[in-house]
Amino acid sequence: MAGITFKNVVKTYDNGVTVVPDLNLEIKDKEFVVLVGPSGCGKSTTLRMIAGLESITDGELYIGDKLMNAVAPKNRNIAMVFQNYALYPHLSVYKNMTFALELAKVPKNEMKKKVQWAAEILGLEPYLDRKPKALSGGQRQRVALGRAMVRDPEVFLLDEPLSNLDAKLRTEMRSQISKLHKRLGTTFVYVTHDQTEAMTMGDRICVMKDGIVQQFDTPQNLYDHPCNIFVAGFIGSPQMNFIDAQVKKADGGYALCFGDTKVISDRSELAAYEGKTVVLGIRPEDLHAEQSFFKEGNSIKAYIDLDEMMGSESYLYLEYAGQKMIARVPARYAKRAEENIELAIDVEKIHLFDKETEKAI
Amino acid sequence: MDKKPSHARTVIAYIVLIILTFLCLFFFYILIVNATRSHPQIQKGFSFIPGHSFMKNLRSVLNDANIPVISGIKNSLIVSSLSAILATYFSALTAYGLYAYDFKLKKPAFVFIMLILVMPTQVSAMGFINLITKMGMLNTLYPLFLPSIAAPAVFYFMYSYMQSSLPLELVEAARIDGSSEFHTFNRVVIPIMKPALAVQAIFAFVSSWNNYFIPALVISDNSKKTLPILIAALRSADFLKFDMGKVYMLITIAIVPIIIVYIALSKYIVAGVALGGVKE
Repeated sequence: MAGITFKNVVKTYDNGVTVVPDLNLEIKDKEFVVLVGPSGCGKSTTLRMIAGLESITDGELYIGDKLMNAVAPKNRNIAMVFQNYALYPHLSVYKNMTFALELAKVPKNEMKKKVQWAAEILGLEPYLDRKPKALSGGQRQRVALGRAMVRDPEVFLLDEPLSNLDAKLRTEMRSQISKLHKRLGTTFVYVTHDQTEAMTMGDRICVMKDGIVQQFDTPQNLYDHPCNIFVAGFIGSPQMNFIDAQVKKADGGYALCFGDTKVISDRSELAAYEGKTVVLGIRPEDLHAEQSFFKEGNSIKAYIDLDEMMGSESYLYLEYAGQKMIARVPARYAKRAEENIELAIDVEKIHLFDKETEKAI
Repeated sequence: MDKKPSHARTVIAYIVLIILTFLCLFFFYILIVNATRSHPQIQKGFSFIPGHSFMKNLRSVLNDANIPVISGIKNSLIVSSLSAILATYFSALTAYGLYAYDFKLKKPAFVFIMLILVMPTQVSAMGFINLITKMGMLNTLYPLFLPSIAAPAVFYFMYSYMQSSLPLELVEAARIDGSSEFHTFNRVVIPIMKPALAVQAIFAFVSSWNNYFIPALVISDNSKKTLPILIAALRSADFLKFDMGKVYMLITIAIVPIIIVYIALSKYIVAGVALGGVKE
């Protein structure tokens, strides 16, 4: 069991492209960390550096307290689950799972016990004699997990393991992997571009962009206190609304003005922005149609471009003061497209960002 | 509605295929028929009906002291099998090296191998003979199979096959599983390459089996001669002893092992071993 530490790690490819400019990251022992970000953000490269499949250009990588820069993948005591499963097509499920154990010269009966243990947890017992091509996508993914489990690795690496599965199976496997983490008590590093997977599975989430860690925090903190506009927009679905607002002095603090709306905030940090424009972020669910939320100045009257009925709630695509917004309101309060609706902004829940640095105020 | 044209197409397809099959098999049939006929019968002209001289022809082939057929078959088998094994294994190894690893001279190496591909054997034959004479390998079987290690055409085939059927994740998975590079090649890559290996093994075997040029230059001992040299020797025998039945019998004997190899390996060509391990 071991944590993982990146110290000023740099990854530059042979063609001169730097994917990871300077990575500092500390993953604790037994933690489930999700690396998330848009494609090309360096999350997979980071994972592959942990695995030893990519060399490290500069800096230090530790697993536990051992420096791993020059250690071959096979000596790192890690297991990895690939996006395409990467099962050995010519070997049976059983042989796929024992491949690493045979190399480690594990005694036959112990090997059998381990495979049985993993197969039982993953529900693979009936398929042990089959070849991978005779299995469905979900079963193959479970074999890939089983192959990693039987090795008792110090670190479990998962590279977008669910992206080839259909939606229903993905939800099922998501909870199965979470359960597996609790059961095994091993460090898990999980790469995905799907923020739902990140939010539901991770103890902590590392949001990356252009090889730089934007924020590394618990799912709740990422959601409630995003450190910049990128994180605020990336986490949450539908994504946060961003509105340019003028800061003006007002009674009881500062007024954030846009359109006809003046939202009063008592945040003292706004003093420096008086007379300037800031970015006001508001999550779609913090726009309310219920009467009880209306106070003076916090309402917007917006035109509904499009409405998406989701059953219990409705997504309203709005236009207000020349800016596009999305609101997520309970279905019984929702109106239909091409109508006007009055919504209240929950002032307690607004986020403020510097327009230039895009950082949270 | 659209059943009629497809029916007509099927008929045409069958007719074409029947003609092609006939063209392919006709010569085999004539060869086998002629192997059962005596020299005068063959000289009279061609016939579809087998003669009665099968055993006589066989005996005269096997008993000819100048034509050591049994040792010829043995030599041909040794040379062709080793050529097939060496060409496929080492070409796959080379292709794997260029496919799975990144190193500085990767592109020049690839170009260099491709350049060898366009070089005809005849051009380098004199140098080759010189070389093996100095190495003391003249009049041995080694020069007939050792050069198969470097087979650019086979290499290129293997390389293309890897590009389409060997995902690098499999290699990475094996590395993480603790497999050494050679072990990965032998235990993971080779089994996936089976269909390609089988196809190339057949081609390498056949071309080595049919090879006359290099053996004719290298081998002078009767006991080390391969079948093509023996067939040529029989054909150029003096006019009085010339026996067409015997020649046909020897050719028949010569093609039997190739037919066996085709039948033995053909199922691997069809089997898509690599399917299913990785989701496309």
